[in-house]
Amino acid sequence: MTTLTESRRQSLGRALEGIVGKAAVLTDPQELMVYESDGLTLFRALADFVVFPTSTQQVSALVRLADAEGLPFVARGAGTGLSGGCLPTEGGLVIALSRMTRILEVDYDNQLAVVEPGLVNLHLSWAVGPRGYYYAPDPASQQACTIGGNIANNSGGPHTLKYGVTTNHVLGLEVVLPDGEVVWLGGKTRDPLGYDLTGVFVGSEGTFGIATKIVVRLLKKPQAVKTVLAAFDEIDRASEAVSAIIARGLVPAALEMIDQVTIQAVEDAFGCGYPRDAAAALLIELDGLAAGMEAQAERVVAACREAGAREVRTAKDEAERQLLWKGRKSAFGAYGRVSPAYMVMDGVIPRTKLPYVLRRVNEIVAAANLRVGNVFHAGDGNLHPNILYDPRRPGEEARVVQAGAEILKVCAEVGGSISGEHGIGLEKMDYMPFIFSPADLATMHRVKEAFNPRGLCNPGKIFPTKKSCVETGPAYRAHPIEEKGLAQRF
Amino acid sequence: MHSALLDKIRGIVGAESVLTGVELSPYVLEGRTPAAAVFPGSVEEVSALLALASDEGIAVTPWGGGTKIAIGAPPERLGLVLGLRRLNRLLEHEPGDLTATSQAGITLDALQGRLAARGQWLSLDPAFGEQATLGGILAANASGPRRHLYGTARDLLIGVTVVAADGSVVKGGGKVVKNVAGYDLPKLYIGSFGTLGIIVEATVKLRPRPDDDRLVLTCFERLKDCGQAVRLVLASDLIPSAVDLLDGEALRGVGLAPGVETGGALLLGFDGMREQVEWQCEEARRLLAGAGPVAQRVLEAEARDAAWRSVRELGGRVFPEAAAQLRLAVLPSQVAEVIEQAGAAAQRCGLRAAFGAHAAVGIVTAVLAGGGESAQPVIAALREWRELVRAAGGHAVLERAPLAVKEQVAVWDPPGPAGRIMERIKIQLDPKGILNPGRFVGGI
Repeated sequence: MTTLTESRRQSLGRALEGIVGKAAVLTDPQELMVYESDGLTLFRALADFVVFPTSTQQVSALVRLADAEGLPFVARGAGTGLSGGCLPTEGGLVIALSRMTRILEVDYDNQLAVVEPGLVNLHLSWAVGPRGYYYAPDPASQQACTIGGNIANNSGGPHTLKYGVTTNHVLGLEVVLPDGEVVWLGGKTRDPLGYDLTGVFVGSEGTFGIATKIVVRLLKKPQAVKTVLAAFDEIDRASEAVSAIIARGLVPAALEMIDQVTIQAVEDAFGCGYPRDAAAALLIELDGLAAGMEAQAERVVAACREAGAREVRTAKDEAERQLLWKGRKSAFGAYGRVSPAYMVMDGVIPRTKLPYVLRRVNEIVAAANLRVGNVFHAGDGNLHPNILYDPRRPGEEARVVQAGAEILKVCAEVGGSISGEHGIGLEKMDYMPFIFSPADLATMHRVKEAFNPRGLCNPGKIFPTKKSCVETGPAYRAHPIEEKGLAQRF
Repeated sequence: MHSALLDKIRGIVGAESVLTGVELSPYVLEGRTPAAAVFPGSVEEVSALLALASDEGIAVTPWGGGTKIAIGAPPERLGLVLGLRRLNRLLEHEPGDLTATSQAGITLDALQGRLAARGQWLSLDPAFGEQATLGGILAANASGPRRHLYGTARDLLIGVTVVAADGSVVKGGGKVVKNVAGYDLPKLYIGSFGTLGIIVEATVKLRPRPDDDRLVLTCFERLKDCGQAVRLVLASDLIPSAVDLLDGEALRGVGLAPGVETGGALLLGFDGMREQVEWQCEEARRLLAGAGPVAQRVLEAEARDAAWRSVRELGGRVFPEAAAQLRLAVLPSQVAEVIEQAGAAAQRCGLRAAFGAHAAVGIVTAVLAGGGESAQPVIAALREWRELVRAAGGHAVLERAPLAVKEQVAVWDPPGPAGRIMERIKIQLDPKGILNPGRFVGGI
């Protein structure tokens, strides 16, 4: 919260109500607390106001007001982010887009849709599914996360190996700039004029403005899908199989790895049919034409066997396929059964460095006297080590944070990145120098200046600059519905 | 340019890498001759040159293979041409990672040759691969038919090293295929035509080379039928890598449909495993039979490569002497209709016109010929075309035209309200305005 005088708070409240109506403004601290965190509960920050606009005009009016009053503001989708990116670190206004959920247009001829930012990711695929289409980016939180939030984070998911991340599926954006002006970046046609502002806006973590309409590509559902589970007695062999599959000229739709700690947690929770005693399993999905699918699956099976898989199984039917995916997607929830808390890391490495880096991860975590479960997008080299711990034990959380930083340093050292899909937000601001030089960061800052010169739009993120009033609290604990396998996250 | 300054430049790159005087004739741009053309041999030399240019306020025009240098408004100032051709080394290629890092001055064909030796390719197929450089392709956002399935530079570039206007070396993105750390700077440099920095290195995503690759060429009586055929293909289970359309004039001009009376043809590219390609060719034949084709052929090997080359290089091949070339972006569903209307407009101006399109992504190349000595008919036709595209909600770029035409017809459409942000980005990254000044959108 900022230090507003009571009279200013009241007059601002009235002004906000004038824009969105009384029922769409929260000021009660109890109610504001619901919006003090995202999926990473390590950080908390309280807004002065949370508002729920329903149109571009309202968003624009809110931003104009914030700009005129010098009030910081930040957009929020479903709050499923994992880096603290949507927290009101300097107080001010949270602009919650959860009432802007409409699909404004679906154009099957041109294979695109125009949607509002609060639309839940999966709801778009549901809407166009009956006509044989879907929206490709599939973060595991897709049942809850919004497409606007996906824009901010350039979200990925398991199927990005073949189909790319959010930015590869966005053609244009209607954006409310930090001074309240409404502009279109890109549009429905390709190769838009001038600089690719859409491209640089996607993944800017809400620091360039607020997207209020989004033009996305729709893809045709594949004719055929094949899902393979391969189990290994050594994690190195599973890593080698990943490279062997790629070396055979195959580009699977998804190529995921699940280690023993995770397998056992998942099996205890859901019984998805993963071999409990395997050191690691790969979940490999092929999709595309029916023609050639068998031959491709045979190549995958052969690659796994040659790398030393002890068991390779192809899902017989859709039910078995869903079960295998449930094991993968519910892994995070399952950790709740084996540990009071865990912290999810997100780093990327060149996939040929997998064996080395996984060994290093295990060493780092063991040296900190902690446990780790790995479940991740092996095909992209996008690691998610999940460090298990007990926040009630003094000092344990600090060791987790320290181990996480060391893991990201290893990722950087082998030529990787400190985030593949969760973003920098608050969590990783101080790690940016692991991979970027002062000149790189200065250039990013200049681009930010072009969009957000006053710095009121989502301040205190990405760059380690200002002091903020963020509090740190307990890290993530699985929500009860996750533990039941009803909700998922990656 | 003062000789003292030239000496400084020679001091940076060596005298043999500086051209002056009559040697500059290949680097004359829109009738203007630069003060010198320099060819640095390292990133450090590029950096030193830009630091010097920045101090002295000299305009710098980056130059790759020169295949897209005609795109842009006449330069505001032309000081140094900075050629990247000596920066032509492939720096890293790890097949297991499906990525490669290269210096920017490597030609596309040279790069593809190196990658092919290890079973991979960069899935970009713009025109003139033997001459076009990686950096130039990125800076011009050049693409080809296979963008339909594999996307454009924005889908393939994962990291970039740029020398900024002040000479500092800046990296954006990284070397891994998935990366959301910091802003996505590589996107900003794609299609920026050298106005924000000079691309010196790039890391790209690769794909395995396909086992098989064929082209199904189907001619129709009318152009309209091609439009219908595109819709059929898109609604089917086919996964073509290219969906191109040529009108009758283009087909005749490049000799792709000898002896056939046709108003247009659909060119479908299929690549992948043999079994997949065979099924797709057969399925395409079956599907398009319903749309009333007048001829159909499946092309492989040299015939296929030659056909795609004709499509990519349409502007330079379709007429003995083209007067202008416009690139249009419209909705895919509007392509056939826009081409018909544009053809009629050209006819009204007494000109010939030919069209090629990456039909399913709505990118059309329109070529004009005729008009004799006077530029007026060409100017009139281009204005009509622009109006037509604007009415369809699209936009257009005048890719090639004589100076007399460029003086009357803008190269770029006005950028609209987003132009304000573009200007601010330019001022932030090139405050002295030395990088390719005046050539880009909105006078940037």
